[in-house]
Amino acid sequence: MYRRLKDDLFVLFAFASALLAILPIFHILFSVFYNGIPVLAKYGVEFLSGTLPPPNKAGGGVFPAIYGSLTMIVLSLMLGIPLGVFAGVFIAEYPSSSISKAARTVLVIILEFPTILVGLFVMAVMVIPMGRFSAIAGAFALTIVMLPYVATYTEQAIRSVPQHYKEVGFALGLNRFRIVFSITLRIAKKVFITGLLIGMAKVSGETAPLIFTAGNVWRSTGALNEPAGAIPLWIYYLVQQPYSNYHEIAWGAAVVLLAIFLVIFLSARLMVRS
Amino acid sequence: MDKFKIFLFPFVSAVFGVLILMLAVFVLNSVSIFQREGLAIYTTNVWIASENPEEEYYGILAATYGTLYTSLIALIIVLPIAIGFSVFIVDFVPEKFKEAFIIPTDIMAGMPTILFGIWGVFYLVPAISGFADFMYKNFSFIPLFSYYNPTGFSYLAAGMLLSIMVLPFASSLIREAYRAVPEVYREAALSLGLTRFEVARILLGYIKPSILASTLLAFGRAVGETVAVSLVIGNAFNINPSLFAPGYTISSLLANQFGNAFVYEYMPSALFSAGLALFAIGLVVNVAGLIVLRRWTHV
Amino acid sequence: MSAITIEKLFLRYGEQEVLRGIDLEIPENVCFAIMGPSGCGKSSLLKVLNRLVEMNHNVKISGDVKLFGNSIFKMDLTKLRRQVGMVFQIPNPFPHMSIYDNITYAVKCNGIAKKKEELDKIVEWALKKAALFDEVKDRLKMRANQLSGGQMQRLCIARALALKPRVMLMDEPTANLDPISADKIEDLITELKNEYTIVMVTHSPGQAARVSDFVAFLYMGRVIEVGKTEEVFENPKNELTERYVTGRIG
Repeated sequence: MYRRLKDDLFVLFAFASALLAILPIFHILFSVFYNGIPVLAKYGVEFLSGTLPPPNKAGGGVFPAIYGSLTMIVLSLMLGIPLGVFAGVFIAEYPSSSISKAARTVLVIILEFPTILVGLFVMAVMVIPMGRFSAIAGAFALTIVMLPYVATYTEQAIRSVPQHYKEVGFALGLNRFRIVFSITLRIAKKVFITGLLIGMAKVSGETAPLIFTAGNVWRSTGALNEPAGAIPLWIYYLVQQPYSNYHEIAWGAAVVLLAIFLVIFLSARLMVRS
Repeated sequence: MDKFKIFLFPFVSAVFGVLILMLAVFVLNSVSIFQREGLAIYTTNVWIASENPEEEYYGILAATYGTLYTSLIALIIVLPIAIGFSVFIVDFVPEKFKEAFIIPTDIMAGMPTILFGIWGVFYLVPAISGFADFMYKNFSFIPLFSYYNPTGFSYLAAGMLLSIMVLPFASSLIREAYRAVPEVYREAALSLGLTRFEVARILLGYIKPSILASTLLAFGRAVGETVAVSLVIGNAFNINPSLFAPGYTISSLLANQFGNAFVYEYMPSALFSAGLALFAIGLVVNVAGLIVLRRWTHV
Repeated sequence: MSAITIEKLFLRYGEQEVLRGIDLEIPENVCFAIMGPSGCGKSSLLKVLNRLVEMNHNVKISGDVKLFGNSIFKMDLTKLRRQVGMVFQIPNPFPHMSIYDNITYAVKCNGIAKKKEELDKIVEWALKKAALFDEVKDRLKMRANQLSGGQMQRLCIARALALKPRVMLMDEPTANLDPISADKIEDLITELKNEYTIVMVTHSPGQAARVSDFVAFLYMGRVIEVGKTEEVFENPKNELTERYVTGRIG
């Protein structure tokens, strides 16, 4: 019967879509591990402590990239957490104010924004005036990328706490600052920390905002006002090189990056679960 | 205003500050190319970089074309799969196993985009290269396959990679909308003796606004994606109907050309104006998506 | 022959036993009311009759239900549901569709009619049967969510009638309506029971007394008492039934 056939085709379509949706995910995850883990095994500890070797020379590692990523992530957290948290607190504590309503919309817009534009913006306001790329500029770009995540989750965390806890605070004669930071956010710390983790996962993998801010280097002096490498940046440039050992190192770096992401992602996930 | 509000105010202002300053930076830096070329920067496809500023001339039409073309390819692939996948999870997977299908897509949604890029270069592009060769040899009379480019770096590679990248995002929006359809409508449809397909058609009709919104937001993401695309699109100033032709997108143009732009007098401004175009496209698409989404949830 | 015969029906959701051995005979072309306090299993019982209850993944059913002599569990689902229409507690016309499409969608899918003239005729007939035609005849293309609650419920009745069912299930059809709309629906039920077998669930003994010919009192998943409506209300044999119909439990 025609009607049955259509129904069967529909079920087939749903199953086929699921397959097409899931398959690339596993192929990508698998290929990163498949190509990357042998590289880590071959290069050993030097992969994490060494620097980029000359083309077609064995050995070497991605230490400057790891160092750059870590410093920029830490810096951006130091800037982004207070900025995002206080902005989120404002929006949650004064939800009916027109400033909050507008801010909520702007945050969603920034969240969806092409991150390469954030990079260009920071380049224009920091790199050009300073005369060079720097870890600080990279971190600043990452801060902007992180800001909407931290602010939105802070807002959600505060709003998830029932009103009466706040009233208890007022009854005890605490001021609003105390109530938010020692009662509300403590109660909702899971949502709050999840937000921080998601923001962190996001910035730890970003490439586009760093290209014209951190600038990338293969050997860094470690100074914050000088150009810096980053794991995603290294992968981006190494892939474009014609040397096979550079491709190897790119895959190795990809596995490191994926591992960092998965650790953060899974902790966020467990946070929500428990 | 209480003290607490006054204390917090600067932080919330920073949120607005970022958006306004960004817009200002892009507009101000675009001025010099507008003064020199007018709208021709957007309507022509030329790229003459010269040490002599007299000879410089830029038009980013190829990049705008590539941005829209690759995003369109991505959407055409994503939309049916996202809908089918949502129906699959909601209608066919038992409650206990739903999470097992959702977690991988969540991982995918947050994964560093460069990982898609490296996969694209070493797996997707070679696969497309063979396909491109075959299609050109047999079907080159069809404009879609009319460009000979056996390297595989192409609009199609970028479009397919984008489809993989935006799928988790689009499908999570559609899935949540589909899941949230009130049970009473599903019951009503079933009570009328309809098949699974006929029921799903009604319910998908019900969430049409959400599907539209997620299409727009997915389009917005595809438009803004930079590094993965710039690694597989071939980076050429090209306006070609063929899927296999190499091209540029606005964001890959920025990633590729800004590095050496400051050697030239007008190139930085040309690129900032390209950024402004991306800004505008992104803003329009995302705001439209958000409006549809919001109006819908307020019904 | 009875329209519906229910034999030793047990139903459980996971560990929770909801129906514990139901036996009922529902004659043809009457209004049969199932009443009882909330949680007694009456809605689940109703949803067994068109097997809608099977939507729930962990539901287990034993026993049998016969529709005009044939076991519903051996019937094709779409065929069963064409014969057994249903009206729900919350008026649920598809809000994004027009009044016209609400009625014709399932008619078309079920292959009852395809041509415009035929469909027009069915829509008019069904709306007239549901006493809604005069109110909406000039705006059939209007979205169904613009109607009032009572009108929506009558549209749902029209939508079900358009498939020409033999049995209509009504799950507290007036529970979410204002008294005037509820009155209209009750009048409609008295009208329709001459041609259709109506099985109605209600938690209001008053409603059962007003519109039904037979009534079953359900309590904790068991039929406590069943019979002609007047008899049950005037001479309840069971003390629980008496306490329920006089409003002391429920």
